[in-house]
Amino acid sequence: MAQVPMDYGLVLAAALFVLGLAGVIVRRNIIFILLSIEIMVNASGLAFIVAGSRWRQPDGQLMFIFILTMAAVEVSLGLALVLRLYHRLKTLDIDRADRMRG
Amino acid sequence: MSGADFVGILPLAILAAAAVLVLLVLSVYRSHLLTCILTLLSLAAAAASLPVAASVGPRGVTILLISDGYALFYTGIILAATFSVTVLSYIFLRSRPGRREELYLLLLLAALGAAVLVFSSHFASLFLGLELLSSSLFVLIAYPRGILNVEAGIKYLILASVSTAFLLFGMSLVYAQLGTMEFARIAAAGRGAGGAILIAGLGLLAVGLAFKLALVPFHMWAPDIYQGAPAPVTAFVASVSKVGAFGVLLRFFRLAGVQGHGHLFLMFTLIAIASMFGGNLLALLQGNVRRLLAYSSISHLGYLLVAFLASGALSVTAVTFYLLAYTATIVAAFGVAVLVEGNGAAGAIADYRGLFWRRPWTAVVMAGALFSLAGIPLTAGFIGKFYLIGAGAGSSLWLLVLALVISSGIGVYYYLRLIVIMYLRPEQTAPETAPAPWSGSLILGALFLAILWLGVYPAPWIDMIQRNALLK
Repeated sequence: MAQVPMDYGLVLAAALFVLGLAGVIVRRNIIFILLSIEIMVNASGLAFIVAGSRWRQPDGQLMFIFILTMAAVEVSLGLALVLRLYHRLKTLDIDRADRMRG
Repeated sequence: MSGADFVGILPLAILAAAAVLVLLVLSVYRSHLLTCILTLLSLAAAAASLPVAASVGPRGVTILLISDGYALFYTGIILAATFSVTVLSYIFLRSRPGRREELYLLLLLAALGAAVLVFSSHFASLFLGLELLSSSLFVLIAYPRGILNVEAGIKYLILASVSTAFLLFGMSLVYAQLGTMEFARIAAAGRGAGGAILIAGLGLLAVGLAFKLALVPFHMWAPDIYQGAPAPVTAFVASVSKVGAFGVLLRFFRLAGVQGHGHLFLMFTLIAIASMFGGNLLALLQGNVRRLLAYSSISHLGYLLVAFLASGALSVTAVTFYLLAYTATIVAAFGVAVLVEGNGAAGAIADYRGLFWRRPWTAVVMAGALFSLAGIPLTAGFIGKFYLIGAGAGSSLWLLVLALVISSGIGVYYYLRLIVIMYLRPEQTAPETAPAPWSGSLILGALFLAILWLGVYPAPWIDMIQRNALLK
Protein backbone atom coordinates (compact mmCIF):
# COMPACT_ATOMS: atom_id res chain seq x y z
CA MET A 1 0.00 0.00 0.00
CA ALA A 2 1.36 3.37 -0.93
CA GLN A 3 2.28 5.55 2.01
CA VAL A 4 0.98 9.08 2.26
CA PRO A 5 4.11 11.28 2.58
CA MET A 6 4.61 12.51 6.12
CA ASP A 7 4.80 16.13 5.12
CA TYR A 8 1.22 16.06 3.81
CA GLY A 9 0.01 14.85 7.17
CA LEU A 10 1.98 17.50 9.03
CA VAL A 11 0.70 20.25 6.73
CA LEU A 12 -2.88 19.10 7.33
CA ALA A 13 -2.27 19.05 11.07
CA ALA A 14 -0.71 22.51 10.96
CA ALA A 15 -3.67 23.86 8.96
CA LEU A 16 -6.12 22.44 11.51
CA PHE A 17 -4.03 23.84 14.34
CA VAL A 18 -4.05 27.34 12.84
CA LEU A 19 -7.82 27.11 12.19
CA GLY A 20 -8.35 26.22 15.82
CA LEU A 21 -6.10 29.03 17.02
CA ALA A 22 -7.95 31.50 14.80
CA GLY A 23 -11.20 30.27 16.29
CA VAL A 24 -9.96 30.85 19.84
CA ILE A 25 -8.93 34.39 18.95
CA VAL A 26 -11.97 35.39 16.87
CA ARG A 27 -14.86 33.66 18.62
CA ARG A 28 -16.52 35.34 21.59
CA ASN A 29 -18.79 32.52 22.68
CA ILE A 30 -17.13 30.33 25.31
CA ILE A 31 -18.57 27.11 23.91
CA PHE A 32 -17.06 27.87 20.51
CA ILE A 33 -13.74 28.76 22.14
CA LEU A 34 -13.70 25.37 23.86
CA LEU A 35 -14.53 23.74 20.51
CA SER A 36 -11.66 25.57 18.83
CA ILE A 37 -9.28 24.44 21.55
CA GLU A 38 -10.45 20.90 20.92
CA ILE A 39 -9.54 21.33 17.24
CA MET A 40 -6.05 22.56 18.16
CA VAL A 41 -5.45 19.68 20.55
CA ASN A 42 -6.69 17.11 18.07
CA ALA A 43 -4.53 18.62 15.34
CA SER A 44 -1.55 17.90 17.60
CA GLY A 45 -2.87 14.38 18.05
CA LEU A 46 -3.05 13.92 14.29
CA ALA A 47 0.53 15.15 13.98
CA PHE A 48 1.60 12.57 16.57
CA ILE A 49 -0.07 9.76 14.64
CA VAL A 50 1.54 10.91 11.39
CA ALA A 51 4.94 11.08 13.09
CA GLY A 52 4.43 7.66 14.70
CA SER A 53 3.60 6.09 11.34
CA ARG A 54 6.73 7.61 9.82
CA TRP A 55 8.93 5.85 12.40
CA ARG A 56 6.69 2.76 12.51
CA GLN A 57 6.37 3.08 16.27
CA PRO A 58 3.27 2.83 18.45
CA ASP A 59 4.40 5.87 20.49
CA GLY A 60 2.48 8.35 18.35
CA GLN A 61 -0.83 6.55 18.83
CA LEU A 62 -0.04 6.16 22.51
CA MET A 63 0.34 9.91 22.84
CA PHE A 64 -2.96 10.33 21.01
CA ILE A 65 -4.72 8.25 23.66
CA PHE A 66 -3.20 10.46 26.36
CA ILE A 67 -4.33 13.52 24.40
CA LEU A 68 -7.88 12.21 24.10
CA THR A 69 -8.01 11.64 27.84
CA MET A 70 -6.66 15.10 28.54
CA ALA A 71 -9.14 16.69 26.13
CA ALA A 72 -12.00 14.94 27.90
CA VAL A 73 -10.79 16.26 31.26
CA GLU A 74 -10.46 19.77 29.90
CA VAL A 75 -13.90 19.79 28.31
CA SER A 76 -15.64 18.43 31.39
CA LEU A 77 -13.98 20.95 33.68
CA GLY A 78 -14.51 23.68 31.10
CA LEU A 79 -18.23 22.99 30.79
CA ALA A 80 -18.63 22.86 34.57
CA LEU A 81 -17.04 26.30 34.84
CA VAL A 82 -19.11 27.59 31.91
CA LEU A 83 -22.29 26.51 33.72
CA ARG A 84 -21.16 28.42 36.80
CA LEU A 85 -20.36 31.50 34.76
CA TYR A 86 -23.69 31.32 32.94
CA HIS A 87 -25.53 31.20 36.26
CA ARG A 88 -23.84 34.43 37.25
CA LEU A 89 -23.72 36.37 34.00
CA LYS A 90 -26.67 34.95 32.00
CA THR A 91 -24.50 35.05 28.89
CA LEU A 92 -21.78 32.99 27.23
CA ASP A 93 -19.98 36.02 25.84
CA ILE A 94 -16.40 35.90 27.12
CA ASP A 95 -16.02 39.66 26.76
CA ARG A 96 -18.53 40.13 29.53
CA ALA A 97 -16.19 38.33 31.90
CA ASP A 98 -14.12 41.44 32.43
CA ARG A 99 -14.30 42.26 36.12
CA MET A 100 -10.53 42.38 36.43
CA ARG A 101 -8.49 45.01 34.65
CA GLY A 102 -5.17 46.71 34.77
CA MET B 1 11.00 -2.35 37.10
CA SER B 2 13.11 -3.48 40.00
CA GLY B 3 12.61 -2.74 43.69
CA ALA B 4 15.20 0.01 43.55
CA ASP B 5 13.22 1.69 40.78
CA PHE B 6 10.20 1.88 43.06
CA VAL B 7 12.36 3.34 45.83
CA GLY B 8 13.62 5.95 43.36
CA ILE B 9 10.12 7.28 42.75
CA LEU B 10 8.94 6.84 46.35
CA PRO B 11 8.01 10.55 46.78
CA LEU B 12 5.71 10.37 43.74
CA ALA B 13 4.18 7.11 44.98
CA ILE B 14 3.50 8.59 48.41
CA LEU B 15 1.84 11.67 46.92
CA ALA B 16 -0.34 9.55 44.64
CA ALA B 17 -1.31 7.22 47.48
CA ALA B 18 -2.06 10.22 49.70
CA ALA B 19 -4.46 11.63 47.10
CA VAL B 20 -6.33 8.31 46.97
CA LEU B 21 -6.32 8.08 50.77
CA VAL B 22 -7.75 11.58 51.20
CA LEU B 23 -10.42 10.79 48.62
CA LEU B 24 -11.44 7.61 50.47
CA VAL B 25 -11.45 9.31 53.85
CA LEU B 26 -13.63 12.08 52.43
CA SER B 27 -16.20 9.57 51.25
CA VAL B 28 -16.73 8.21 54.77
CA TYR B 29 -15.91 11.07 57.09
CA ARG B 30 -15.84 14.77 56.32
CA SER B 31 -13.76 16.88 58.62
CA HIS B 32 -11.91 20.00 57.61
CA LEU B 33 -9.21 19.72 60.26
CA LEU B 34 -8.67 15.98 59.74
CA THR B 35 -8.30 16.38 55.96
CA CYS B 36 -5.82 19.19 56.45
CA ILE B 37 -3.74 17.20 58.94
CA LEU B 38 -3.82 14.14 56.69
CA THR B 39 -2.55 16.26 53.80
CA LEU B 40 0.22 17.78 55.90
CA LEU B 41 1.29 14.34 57.17
CA SER B 42 1.45 12.88 53.66
CA LEU B 43 3.48 15.86 52.41
CA ALA B 44 5.86 15.35 55.35
CA ALA B 45 6.06 11.63 54.57
CA ALA B 46 6.87 12.39 50.93
CA ALA B 47 9.57 14.83 52.07
CA ALA B 48 10.99 12.21 54.45
CA SER B 49 11.21 9.76 51.56
CA LEU B 50 13.48 12.09 49.56
CA PRO B 51 16.75 10.90 51.21
CA VAL B 52 15.60 7.30 50.82
CA ALA B 53 15.01 7.88 47.12
CA ALA B 54 18.38 9.61 46.83
CA SER B 55 20.11 6.56 48.29
CA VAL B 56 19.44 4.46 45.18
CA GLY B 57 21.46 6.96 43.19
CA PRO B 58 20.58 8.68 39.93
CA ARG B 59 18.68 6.16 37.88
CA GLY B 60 16.19 6.16 35.06
CA VAL B 61 12.91 4.61 36.16
CA THR B 62 11.62 3.17 32.87
CA ILE B 63 12.20 5.61 30.05
CA LEU B 64 9.57 7.98 31.42
CA LEU B 65 11.05 9.19 34.71
CA ILE B 66 14.49 9.90 36.02
CA SER B 67 15.21 9.97 39.72
CA ASP B 68 18.33 12.06 40.36
CA GLY B 69 19.47 14.65 42.88
CA TYR B 70 18.11 17.45 40.70
CA ALA B 71 14.59 15.98 40.59
CA LEU B 72 14.63 15.23 44.30
CA PHE B 73 15.83 18.71 45.27
CA TYR B 74 13.13 20.36 43.17
CA THR B 75 10.56 17.98 44.64
CA GLY B 76 11.74 19.12 48.06
CA ILE B 77 11.02 22.74 47.13
CA ILE B 78 7.61 21.72 45.77
CA LEU B 79 6.71 19.77 48.92
CA ALA B 80 7.80 22.56 51.25
CA ALA B 81 5.81 25.13 49.29
CA THR B 82 2.74 22.88 49.16
CA PHE B 83 3.04 22.33 52.93
CA SER B 84 2.94 26.08 53.54
CA VAL B 85 0.06 26.54 51.08
CA THR B 86 -1.91 23.79 52.84
CA VAL B 87 -1.63 25.56 56.18
CA LEU B 88 -2.58 28.86 54.56
CA SER B 89 -5.57 27.18 52.89
CA TYR B 90 -6.76 25.96 56.27
CA ILE B 91 -6.68 29.52 57.60
CA PHE B 92 -8.37 30.82 54.46
CA LEU B 93 -11.19 28.25 54.47
CA ARG B 94 -11.82 28.24 58.23
CA SER B 95 -14.27 31.11 58.10
CA ARG B 96 -15.86 30.16 54.79
CA PRO B 97 -18.94 27.96 54.55
CA GLY B 98 -19.52 25.18 52.04
CA ARG B 99 -17.53 22.15 51.03
CA ARG B 100 -13.90 22.81 51.79
CA GLU B 101 -12.18 19.45 52.02
CA GLU B 102 -11.67 18.77 48.31
CA LEU B 103 -9.24 21.66 48.07
CA TYR B 104 -6.61 19.58 49.88
CA LEU B 105 -7.13 16.66 47.55
CA LEU B 106 -6.57 18.96 44.58
CA LEU B 107 -3.49 20.48 46.20
CA LEU B 108 -1.99 17.00 46.59
CA LEU B 109 -2.75 16.17 42.95
CA ALA B 110 -1.30 19.44 41.71
CA ALA B 111 1.85 18.88 43.78
CA LEU B 112 2.10 15.39 42.31
CA GLY B 113 1.83 16.88 38.81
CA ALA B 114 4.61 19.37 39.52
CA ALA B 115 6.81 16.60 40.96
CA VAL B 116 6.21 14.39 37.91
CA LEU B 117 7.30 17.34 35.76
CA VAL B 118 10.70 17.63 37.44
CA PHE B 119 11.13 13.83 37.34
CA SER B 120 10.21 13.55 33.69
CA SER B 121 12.67 12.44 31.04
CA HIS B 122 10.18 11.77 28.24
CA PHE B 123 7.53 13.84 26.43
CA ALA B 124 4.74 11.59 27.69
CA SER B 125 5.59 12.11 31.35
CA LEU B 126 6.14 15.83 30.77
CA PHE B 127 2.68 16.07 29.24
CA LEU B 128 1.00 14.00 31.96
CA GLY B 129 2.67 15.95 34.75
CA LEU B 130 1.74 19.27 33.21
CA GLU B 131 -1.87 18.22 32.71
CA LEU B 132 -2.18 16.86 36.23
CA LEU B 133 -0.91 20.21 37.49
CA SER B 134 -3.08 22.40 35.24
CA SER B 135 -6.31 20.41 35.55
CA SER B 136 -6.09 20.60 39.34
CA LEU B 137 -5.40 24.31 39.08
CA PHE B 138 -8.52 24.99 36.95
CA VAL B 139 -10.64 23.79 39.84
CA LEU B 140 -8.46 25.25 42.59
CA ILE B 141 -8.63 28.73 41.07
CA ALA B 142 -12.41 28.63 40.80
CA TYR B 143 -12.78 26.86 44.14
CA PRO B 144 -14.76 29.34 46.28
CA ARG B 145 -17.07 29.79 43.28
CA GLY B 146 -17.39 33.54 43.53
CA ILE B 147 -17.80 35.37 40.24
CA LEU B 148 -14.16 36.51 40.21
CA ASN B 149 -12.94 32.99 40.97
CA VAL B 150 -15.00 31.43 38.17
CA GLU B 151 -13.92 34.13 35.75
CA ALA B 152 -10.27 33.56 36.64
CA GLY B 153 -10.77 29.78 36.41
CA ILE B 154 -12.21 30.02 32.89
CA LYS B 155 -9.48 32.36 31.73
CA TYR B 156 -6.83 30.02 33.07
CA LEU B 157 -8.56 27.02 31.52
CA ILE B 158 -8.68 28.59 28.06
CA LEU B 159 -5.14 29.91 28.07
CA ALA B 160 -3.63 26.82 29.68
CA SER B 161 -5.39 24.58 27.16
CA VAL B 162 -4.16 26.69 24.26
CA SER B 163 -0.64 26.55 25.66
CA THR B 164 -0.92 22.77 26.06
CA ALA B 165 -1.95 22.55 22.42
CA PHE B 166 1.16 24.54 21.46
CA LEU B 167 3.30 22.28 23.60
CA LEU B 168 1.80 19.13 22.07
CA PHE B 169 2.19 20.38 18.53
CA GLY B 170 5.82 21.25 19.24
CA MET B 171 6.41 17.79 20.71
CA SER B 172 4.85 16.09 17.70
CA LEU B 173 7.06 18.07 15.30
CA VAL B 174 10.19 17.14 17.28
CA TYR B 175 9.07 13.51 17.31
CA ALA B 176 8.35 13.60 13.58
CA GLN B 177 11.90 14.77 12.93
CA LEU B 178 13.88 12.71 15.41
CA GLY B 179 11.80 9.58 15.98
CA THR B 180 12.19 9.61 19.74
CA MET B 181 10.54 11.31 22.68
CA GLU B 182 13.21 10.65 25.31
CA PHE B 183 15.06 13.79 26.35
CA ALA B 184 18.51 12.18 26.26
CA ARG B 185 18.03 10.66 22.82
CA ILE B 186 16.48 13.87 21.46
CA ALA B 187 19.63 15.64 22.63
CA ALA B 188 21.85 13.11 20.90
CA ALA B 189 19.81 12.99 17.67
CA GLY B 190 19.23 16.74 17.53
CA ARG B 191 22.86 17.73 18.03
CA GLY B 192 23.73 17.90 14.36
CA ALA B 193 20.24 18.27 12.92
CA GLY B 194 18.98 21.78 12.32
CA GLY B 195 15.94 21.38 10.10
CA ALA B 196 13.29 24.09 10.06
CA ILE B 197 10.64 21.68 11.36
CA LEU B 198 12.81 20.68 14.32
CA ILE B 199 13.48 24.31 15.23
CA ALA B 200 9.77 25.09 14.87
CA GLY B 201 8.95 22.14 17.11
CA LEU B 202 11.38 23.17 19.82
CA GLY B 203 10.13 26.74 19.52
CA LEU B 204 6.48 25.73 19.95
CA LEU B 205 7.46 23.57 22.89
CA ALA B 206 9.20 26.54 24.46
CA VAL B 207 6.12 28.72 23.81
CA GLY B 208 3.95 26.16 25.59
CA LEU B 209 6.18 26.24 28.65
CA ALA B 210 6.56 30.03 28.49
CA PHE B 211 2.76 30.28 28.82
CA LYS B 212 2.88 28.29 32.04
CA LEU B 213 5.71 30.49 33.31
CA ALA B 214 3.83 33.67 32.27
CA LEU B 215 6.71 35.12 30.28
CA VAL B 216 6.07 38.15 28.03
CA PRO B 217 4.37 37.95 25.48
CA PHE B 218 2.50 34.98 26.95
CA HIS B 219 1.78 36.64 30.29
CA MET B 220 -1.76 37.99 29.76
CA TRP B 221 -3.37 35.52 32.14
CA ALA B 222 -1.13 36.10 35.14
CA PRO B 223 -2.58 39.31 36.64
CA ASP B 224 -6.19 38.13 36.34
CA ILE B 225 -5.42 34.73 37.86
CA TYR B 226 -3.37 36.23 40.69
CA GLN B 227 -6.22 38.58 41.47
CA GLY B 228 -9.13 36.22 40.95
CA ALA B 229 -7.85 33.05 42.59
CA PRO B 230 -8.15 32.56 46.36
CA ALA B 231 -4.96 33.81 48.04
CA PRO B 232 -3.47 30.41 49.02
CA VAL B 233 -4.05 29.10 45.50
CA THR B 234 -2.34 32.19 44.12
CA ALA B 235 0.64 31.34 46.32
CA PHE B 236 0.56 27.86 44.80
CA VAL B 237 0.36 29.13 41.21
CA ALA B 238 3.18 31.58 41.87
CA SER B 239 5.49 29.02 43.47
CA VAL B 240 4.86 25.33 42.83
CA SER B 241 3.65 25.53 39.24
CA LYS B 242 6.56 27.83 38.32
CA VAL B 243 9.11 25.54 40.00
CA GLY B 244 7.71 22.49 38.20
CA ALA B 245 7.58 24.13 34.77
CA PHE B 246 11.01 25.77 35.10
CA GLY B 247 12.49 22.52 36.40
CA VAL B 248 11.50 20.64 33.28
CA LEU B 249 12.33 23.57 30.96
CA LEU B 250 15.86 23.64 32.37
CA ARG B 251 16.30 19.87 32.22
CA PHE B 252 15.06 19.57 28.65
CA PHE B 253 16.86 22.52 27.11
CA ARG B 254 20.06 21.84 29.04
CA LEU B 255 20.12 18.40 27.45
CA ALA B 256 19.00 19.58 24.02
CA GLY B 257 21.42 22.52 24.20
CA VAL B 258 19.79 25.91 23.57
CA GLN B 259 23.17 27.32 22.64
CA GLY B 260 23.39 24.90 19.73
CA HIS B 261 20.25 26.38 18.13
CA GLY B 262 20.87 30.04 17.35
CA HIS B 263 17.22 30.83 16.65
CA LEU B 264 16.07 29.38 19.95
CA PHE B 265 18.77 31.26 21.82
CA LEU B 266 17.66 34.49 20.19
CA MET B 267 14.00 33.76 20.98
CA PHE B 268 14.73 33.12 24.66
CA THR B 269 16.89 36.24 24.83
CA LEU B 270 14.07 38.39 23.46
CA ILE B 271 11.54 36.75 25.79
CA ALA B 272 13.85 37.35 28.76
CA ILE B 273 14.37 41.03 27.99
CA ALA B 274 10.68 41.59 27.23
CA SER B 275 9.68 39.85 30.48
CA MET B 276 12.12 41.80 32.63
CA PHE B 277 11.11 45.19 31.29
CA GLY B 278 7.46 44.39 30.60
CA GLY B 279 6.90 42.97 34.07
CA ASN B 280 8.64 45.77 35.92
CA LEU B 281 7.21 48.64 33.88
CA LEU B 282 3.63 47.36 34.01
CA ALA B 283 3.98 46.72 37.74
CA LEU B 284 4.59 50.45 38.17
CA LEU B 285 1.05 51.14 36.97
CA GLN B 286 -0.75 48.74 39.31
CA GLY B 287 -3.01 49.92 42.10
CA ASN B 288 -3.69 46.41 43.35
CA VAL B 289 -1.22 44.42 45.41
CA ARG B 290 -2.07 41.08 43.79
CA ARG B 291 -1.66 42.44 40.27
CA LEU B 292 1.56 44.13 41.29
CA LEU B 293 2.94 40.80 42.53
CA ALA B 294 1.76 39.15 39.30
CA TYR B 295 3.73 41.58 37.14
CA SER B 296 6.67 41.29 39.50
CA SER B 297 6.58 37.50 39.08
CA ILE B 298 6.69 37.96 35.30
CA SER B 299 9.88 39.97 35.67
CA HIS B 300 11.39 37.44 38.09
CA LEU B 301 10.87 34.64 35.61
CA GLY B 302 12.63 36.88 33.09
CA TYR B 303 15.59 37.19 35.47
CA LEU B 304 15.68 33.41 35.74
CA LEU B 305 16.03 33.10 31.97
CA VAL B 306 19.35 34.99 32.18
CA ALA B 307 20.91 32.12 34.12
CA PHE B 308 18.98 29.60 32.02
CA LEU B 309 20.65 30.95 28.89
CA ALA B 310 24.09 31.00 30.49
CA SER B 311 26.25 27.96 30.04
CA GLY B 312 28.55 26.39 32.58
CA ALA B 313 28.08 24.80 35.97
CA LEU B 314 27.07 28.02 37.72
CA SER B 315 23.97 28.35 35.56
CA VAL B 316 22.01 25.45 37.08
CA THR B 317 23.11 26.41 40.60
CA ALA B 318 21.95 29.98 40.03
CA VAL B 319 18.55 28.93 38.66
CA THR B 320 17.92 26.43 41.45
CA PHE B 321 18.95 28.81 44.20
CA TYR B 322 16.86 31.62 42.74
CA LEU B 323 13.81 29.38 42.48
CA LEU B 324 14.30 28.34 46.10
CA ALA B 325 14.66 31.94 47.25
CA TYR B 326 11.75 33.11 45.10
CA THR B 327 9.47 30.35 46.36
CA ALA B 328 10.11 31.18 50.02
CA THR B 329 9.58 34.87 49.27
CA ILE B 330 6.41 34.70 47.21
CA VAL B 331 4.71 32.19 49.50
CA ALA B 332 5.49 34.53 52.42
CA ALA B 333 4.01 37.48 50.50
CA PHE B 334 0.79 35.64 49.67
CA GLY B 335 0.69 34.21 53.17
CA VAL B 336 0.45 37.79 54.38
CA ALA B 337 -2.31 38.33 51.81
CA VAL B 338 -4.26 35.39 53.31
CA LEU B 339 -4.06 36.92 56.79
CA VAL B 340 -4.58 40.53 55.81
CA GLU B 341 -7.13 40.69 53.05
CA GLY B 342 -10.63 41.34 54.23
CA ASN B 343 -13.83 40.51 52.45
CA GLY B 344 -13.40 43.40 50.02
CA ALA B 345 -11.71 43.26 46.64
CA ALA B 346 -8.78 40.87 46.53
CA GLY B 347 -5.48 42.68 46.79
CA ALA B 348 -6.99 46.09 47.49
CA ILE B 349 -4.33 48.48 48.65
CA ALA B 350 -6.57 49.65 51.51
CA ASP B 351 -6.01 46.33 53.27
CA TYR B 352 -2.30 47.08 53.45
CA ARG B 353 -2.41 50.76 54.35
CA GLY B 354 -1.06 51.26 57.84
CA LEU B 355 -0.57 47.54 58.30
CA PHE B 356 2.47 48.15 60.46
CA TRP B 357 0.40 49.94 63.08
CA ARG B 358 -2.26 47.29 63.19
CA ARG B 359 -0.18 44.13 62.86
CA PRO B 360 3.50 44.91 63.22
CA TRP B 361 4.81 41.36 62.83
CA THR B 362 2.79 40.60 59.71
CA ALA B 363 3.99 43.88 58.23
CA VAL B 364 7.60 42.97 59.02
CA VAL B 365 7.23 39.64 57.19
CA MET B 366 5.69 41.44 54.19
CA ALA B 367 8.49 44.01 54.24
CA GLY B 368 11.04 41.18 54.35
CA ALA B 369 9.39 39.49 51.38
CA LEU B 370 9.26 42.75 49.41
CA PHE B 371 12.93 43.49 50.20
CA SER B 372 13.78 40.01 49.01
CA LEU B 373 11.82 40.52 45.77
CA ALA B 374 13.61 43.81 45.25
CA GLY B 375 16.97 42.14 45.89
CA ILE B 376 18.08 44.15 48.92
CA PRO B 377 21.13 42.70 50.72
CA LEU B 378 20.63 40.36 53.71
CA THR B 379 17.62 38.77 52.02
CA ALA B 380 17.36 35.67 49.84
CA GLY B 381 16.59 37.70 46.74
CA PHE B 382 19.92 39.50 46.90
CA ILE B 383 22.03 36.34 46.92
CA GLY B 384 19.78 34.88 44.23
CA LYS B 385 20.23 37.88 41.96
CA PHE B 386 23.95 37.88 42.70
CA TYR B 387 24.20 34.32 41.39
CA LEU B 388 22.05 35.11 38.34
CA ILE B 389 24.31 38.01 37.41
CA GLY B 390 27.36 35.85 38.12
CA ALA B 391 26.07 33.14 35.80
CA GLY B 392 25.17 35.64 33.07
CA ALA B 393 28.51 37.46 33.30
CA GLY B 394 30.38 34.14 33.33
CA SER B 395 28.95 33.41 29.88
CA SER B 396 29.44 37.01 28.67
CA LEU B 397 25.72 37.63 28.22
CA TRP B 398 26.27 41.33 28.79
CA LEU B 399 23.06 42.52 27.16
CA LEU B 400 20.95 40.28 29.39
CA VAL B 401 22.91 41.18 32.52
CA LEU B 402 22.49 44.88 31.72
CA ALA B 403 18.74 44.41 31.22
CA LEU B 404 18.55 42.56 34.54
CA VAL B 405 20.35 45.31 36.43
CA ILE B 406 18.37 48.19 34.89
CA SER B 407 14.96 46.54 35.17
CA SER B 408 15.46 45.42 38.75
CA GLY B 409 16.43 49.01 39.50
CA ILE B 410 13.01 50.04 38.19
CA GLY B 411 11.46 47.27 40.30
CA VAL B 412 12.84 48.62 43.57
CA TYR B 413 10.57 51.65 43.21
CA TYR B 414 7.24 49.84 43.43
CA TYR B 415 8.34 47.44 46.15
CA LEU B 416 9.47 50.35 48.30
CA ARG B 417 6.27 52.25 47.53
CA LEU B 418 4.26 49.34 48.91
CA ILE B 419 6.44 49.26 52.02
CA VAL B 420 5.87 52.99 52.51
CA ILE B 421 2.11 52.41 52.23
CA MET B 422 2.31 49.79 54.97
CA TYR B 423 3.98 52.27 57.29
CA LEU B 424 1.56 55.14 56.69
CA ARG B 425 -0.69 56.08 59.57
CA PRO B 426 -3.96 54.16 59.14
CA GLU B 427 -7.09 56.02 58.15
CA GLN B 428 -10.04 56.25 60.47
CA THR B 429 -11.97 53.73 58.41
CA ALA B 430 -9.21 51.13 58.48
CA PRO B 431 -10.67 47.64 58.25
CA GLU B 432 -10.85 45.75 61.53
CA THR B 433 -8.46 42.84 61.64
CA ALA B 434 -8.69 39.81 63.84
CA PRO B 435 -5.45 38.57 65.41
CA ALA B 436 -3.50 36.18 63.21
CA PRO B 437 -4.03 32.48 64.02
CA TRP B 438 -0.98 30.77 65.53
CA SER B 439 -0.59 28.36 62.61
CA GLY B 440 -0.36 31.30 60.23
CA SER B 441 2.16 33.10 62.44
CA LEU B 442 4.24 29.93 62.61
CA ILE B 443 4.35 29.45 58.83
CA LEU B 444 5.03 33.12 58.15
CA GLY B 445 7.74 33.15 60.83
CA ALA B 446 9.39 30.08 59.30
CA LEU B 447 9.28 31.59 55.80
CA PHE B 448 10.68 34.87 57.11
CA LEU B 449 13.56 33.05 58.79
CA ALA B 450 14.15 31.08 55.59
CA ILE B 451 14.38 34.33 53.60
CA LEU B 452 16.92 35.70 56.09
CA TRP B 453 18.88 32.45 56.31
CA LEU B 454 19.15 32.19 52.52
CA GLY B 455 20.26 35.80 52.44
CA VAL B 456 22.77 35.79 55.30
CA TYR B 457 24.28 32.33 55.28
CA PRO B 458 23.45 30.61 51.96
CA ALA B 459 26.57 28.39 51.95
CA PRO B 460 24.93 25.14 53.12
CA TRP B 461 22.14 25.57 50.57
CA ILE B 462 24.52 26.35 47.73
CA ASP B 463 26.53 23.33 48.75
CA MET B 464 23.46 21.13 48.69
CA ILE B 465 22.35 22.51 45.32
CA GLN B 466 25.77 21.88 43.81
CA ARG B 467 25.77 18.30 45.07
CA ASN B 468 22.39 17.85 43.39
CA ALA B 469 23.23 19.64 40.18
CA LEU B 470 21.77 18.52 36.90
CA LEU B 471 23.89 15.79 35.34
CA LYS B 472 24.41 15.98 31.61
